[in-house]
Amino acid sequence: MNRNKQTETLGGVITLIILVLLIFLSNVQTSKISFFEGIASSVFSPVQNLFISLKNKASGNSKYFSDMELLISENAELKEKNSKLEEQVRELEIIKADNETMQEYMNLTQKYAEYQTIPAYVINKDVSNLSSTLILNVGSEDGVAEQMTVIADQGLVGHIISVSKHTSKVQVIIDPASTVSCSISTTEQSIICKGTLDNDQTLRASFIPTGAELIQGDTVSTSGIGGIYRKGIRIGTIKEIVTTSNVIDRYAIVEPAVDFRTVDNVLIIAE
Amino acid sequence: MKKFGISILFFITFIIIYLLQANIFPSLKIAGVMPNLFVIFILWIGLFANTIEAVGFGLIMGVLIDLIYGKVIGITAVMLCVIGYLGAYFDKNFSKESKFKIVLMVIGATLIYEIGYYALGGLIIGYDFEWLKLMKIVIFEIIYNVLITIILYPMIQNLGYKVDRAFKRNNILTRYF
Repeated sequence: MNRNKQTETLGGVITLIILVLLIFLSNVQTSKISFFEGIASSVFSPVQNLFISLKNKASGNSKYFSDMELLISENAELKEKNSKLEEQVRELEIIKADNETMQEYMNLTQKYAEYQTIPAYVINKDVSNLSSTLILNVGSEDGVAEQMTVIADQGLVGHIISVSKHTSKVQVIIDPASTVSCSISTTEQSIICKGTLDNDQTLRASFIPTGAELIQGDTVSTSGIGGIYRKGIRIGTIKEIVTTSNVIDRYAIVEPAVDFRTVDNVLIIAE
Repeated sequence: MKKFGISILFFITFIIIYLLQANIFPSLKIAGVMPNLFVIFILWIGLFANTIEAVGFGLIMGVLIDLIYGKVIGITAVMLCVIGYLGAYFDKNFSKESKFKIVLMVIGATLIYEIGYYALGGLIIGYDFEWLKLMKIVIFEIIYNVLITIILYPMIQNLGYKVDRAFKRNNILTRYF
């Protein structure tokens, strides 16, 4: 009996302590016990996350079947939109390329405004390793005639050697059979630039006057002598000067301004 | 009739080769040099068809190439005729069974064609000869042509003997007995 009383008293005391502690803790700000909160959350949150994800999955599965039809129709709609957009992109790319070509022609025409020019496009290049000719998409019907000068944005390309109704053939200045009378920008002295068999598409400048001083990087342009090319069209720059034991034999390597591997748009200078 | 049909096929092949040479090979150059399938093709006609066919096709194709690209008409035509005749000469004097011999014939034909083309061009058009630079180009072209010959060798042999049967049916007895 006595023992029961003791237990009741002890129980009452423990309950009282717990209550007092609870009242005390309820008044303490949570920020002050964040350490204990952290421990608790680190223990329970993974378990809680697992339960939450399981719950979401279960509820999602039920939705999955209901949304399936909607998704299929949306997917078809998006595919259709995508193909339309792709088509538009292709059209825009074509327009962009056309625009670039027209821009290039306009720049060229503005650059050589003093000449009456015919714009042309390179449609074919020589199949031989030993010669360089270009075929253009304009012919006698467009006003092209033999011996007309062909230029690109960067400089001289060559001259027309034969013309058909709708195409014309150009002998490029790097062709081994091509010879152009040129002058050096600094000294205004005449030299002869000949095409070579070199793979790096260079010209060989020979017949350099004995007194002429050549400087690497000098600009070379047409001298107007010879009756084909007009004066002052840029050909390229002096890349290397090769001196020989005899001054008369010295020659220079000229790097053309035009890259003949990639040249596409050209202008023909009409008479 | 069969020969006429084969001749038409030859012409179609020429157009395909031309398209390859003008559009594909310029972007597949080795050291700035592209192969010359025209030489291989005319040599093949000479080896497996007959002299008239090879020289005739060499002339027609050469004139067409000259008309499209040439500064003067005739240089390519003459050189392809020579290659056609060379093919027929090889056929009469050497065996076509060995891959090695075919490769040697291609080397010889490419060398003769390019040197002849350059020399004739120099004489007719007039330019300074650069033999060392020419040899560099020719060596790369030979390598390229040999590679193509090795790759196409099974086709060269199979189609070649079909053409051979069509063109030389009557000559077999006189040639081997």
